[in-house]
Amino acid sequence: MEGILAILNTDLLVATIRLSTPITLAAVGATICERSGIVNIAMEGMMIMGAFFAVVVAYFTGNPWLGLLAGVVAGGIFSLVHAVATVTFHLDHVVSGAVLNILSFGIVRYLMVLFFGHPGTTEPIPHGLNEYQFAIPGLSKIPVLGSMFFNQTPIVYMSFLLIIAALFFLKRTKVGLHLRAAGEHPMALETIGVSVYKMRYLGVLISGLFSGLAGAYLSIENAVSFTEGMSNGRGFIALAAMISGGWTAIGSFLAALFFGFADAFQIRMQIFKVLPIPAEIFIIFPYVATVIAVAGLVRKSRSPKADGIDFIIEREDG
Amino acid sequence: MNKFTRISVIILVLALAFSGIVFANGNSEKTDTAAAAKIIVGMATDTGGLGDKSFNDGSYEGVKKAAVDFNLDARVVESKQQTDYVPNLAGLAEDGSKVVFAIGFLMADAMIEVAKNNPDTVFAGIDIGLDPATAPKNVQGLLFKEQESGYVAGVLAGLMTKKYASVSDRLNDDNVVGMVLGMDIPPVERYQAGFYAGVKSVNPDCKVLSVVTGVFTDQAKGKESALAMIEQGADIIFQIAGLTGIGALNAADEAGVAGIGVDVDQYGVAPEAIMTSAVKGITQATYLTVKDVINDKFVGGGNRTFGINEDATGIAPYHNWNSLIPAEVKDAVDKAIADLKSGKVVAPASRAEAGYEG
Repeated sequence: MEGILAILNTDLLVATIRLSTPITLAAVGATICERSGIVNIAMEGMMIMGAFFAVVVAYFTGNPWLGLLAGVVAGGIFSLVHAVATVTFHLDHVVSGAVLNILSFGIVRYLMVLFFGHPGTTEPIPHGLNEYQFAIPGLSKIPVLGSMFFNQTPIVYMSFLLIIAALFFLKRTKVGLHLRAAGEHPMALETIGVSVYKMRYLGVLISGLFSGLAGAYLSIENAVSFTEGMSNGRGFIALAAMISGGWTAIGSFLAALFFGFADAFQIRMQIFKVLPIPAEIFIIFPYVATVIAVAGLVRKSRSPKADGIDFIIEREDG
Repeated sequence: MNKFTRISVIILVLALAFSGIVFANGNSEKTDTAAAAKIIVGMATDTGGLGDKSFNDGSYEGVKKAAVDFNLDARVVESKQQTDYVPNLAGLAEDGSKVVFAIGFLMADAMIEVAKNNPDTVFAGIDIGLDPATAPKNVQGLLFKEQESGYVAGVLAGLMTKKYASVSDRLNDDNVVGMVLGMDIPPVERYQAGFYAGVKSVNPDCKVLSVVTGVFTDQAKGKESALAMIEQGADIIFQIAGLTGIGALNAADEAGVAGIGVDVDQYGVAPEAIMTSAVKGITQATYLTVKDVINDKFVGGGNRTFGINEDATGIAPYHNWNSLIPAEVKDAVDKAIADLKSGKVVAPASRAEAGYEG
């Protein structure tokens, strides 16, 4: 019991933020995508693209900020493949997403050999974004919450701002309303003269940008090099977080935090040896907890009505 | 859709919990075409391919060295995916190779299958443990005593973490060291058990922490695991987690503590932080095996274990720490190596033998 109490400290909560940031970003992006009516299981692939191109640019220019930009743009461009496939060519959303995930592994392996001469891990970048950790004066002095939220690295701050922006965008802006309408009742939206296609393209693109940023976080902020497979399933955890978060930005954030917490917690359970059980049990704990959360909470959450449903406009030309 | 999504997400997450994502791919085949009269030595890489700066490169280096020393024709084939193992190994045998290397334990079944069909060719598998009762006479498993490398690194860590902590700002007064593990597979456990025993042999009160990450490619997880131990006072982090461990070494560097690399000299990952690396001589293993084959000393049908007496286990140079590590510590490390060589000390090969709960 003493062991468990020793685990529950500020460090655990700070680690929770670090571990949940990439999941949060991908899940919030996916929320916007699915609210527009496009199912997105390709966050894993978009994250990998973002992580890889962030390192490529940060490595060759020496500037991590350019790397960040490259990661976001790479995620965005890659996501457009999904948009073209599902919106324009009416391909099944899950099939397209699965293809994108597999494609990303192959593309990155190929480009890695091309740019770095070998697969595996890239050479370290000269400067990472972790060098830009800064405490917000005043706020960072608040006990516990200060070190959790106000003494962080750049992409972590960005993720907080983006959650608020996503909330505002979906709830308070006209475009956000249209985007949601594309996912609930596309015909109604088309009837008032707003293109469902455009809204769905926008939704997918935003998800790609967010996932690209999540990838950049992994490769140039948390680490200083790219490793094949470094996203390690976080894109799928983000999918689970989005669903158990009820297709809302704040819900996705909370679910991602929960997963991050479970992961940070299990690492400390191993160190403190609170329970005499094999390490494998600890390792699967965050995943099992997420499965339970999805299975339990999803009943209460509702997906957008037209999520995953193809929309074809029949025009009578001439 | 909702129900389908829910079920598929549950399946996906469960699948993730028990496995990593494996996507096999690779480079195109490269074959050295030298004089046909020479004896051919073949090697099939696993899907990591050449350029991994670890397993495959290390094995090939030994093969190349042997080719130069004994005037042989070295050929290497890279496997793009696991289904390439059998055709690659069989192809090398059919080319007339005298000995064929299979790199990595994933190739075990393929190697045995091909060996049965090519009784005139000799096969050797890195990290492949064979059952002597059933193994064909023309195959040999090449294993390493990782526990010896771990033990020597452990002696260094055990002395530096407390007694000689004053030599560097990176070391603190807490008597704690930590290990970050990848998947909990036998070679990883051997390193872990050896390190634990090494630390305890010179510093019985030292607290030795471990975290199993369950993955070899997740830098973020390696970093978090290391940071969690550093929070508990660990000032030396030993990584046994492949690429996951790159994150652990970076965490040690950023947090201002020391790190110990694994398998190869990893000094370059964090030159200021890395004291040494616990290495395993894959290069030596392939070289010596070729030598045995050439001299007709090859003994098949079982395993050959490489250890400190073959110079296949031990630690890498201290590099930047060379001037910091006191002579007494270096002497203790050298004594540990000598004791292992003479058999006076036997490093434990499992947690159970080491009496470590892990």
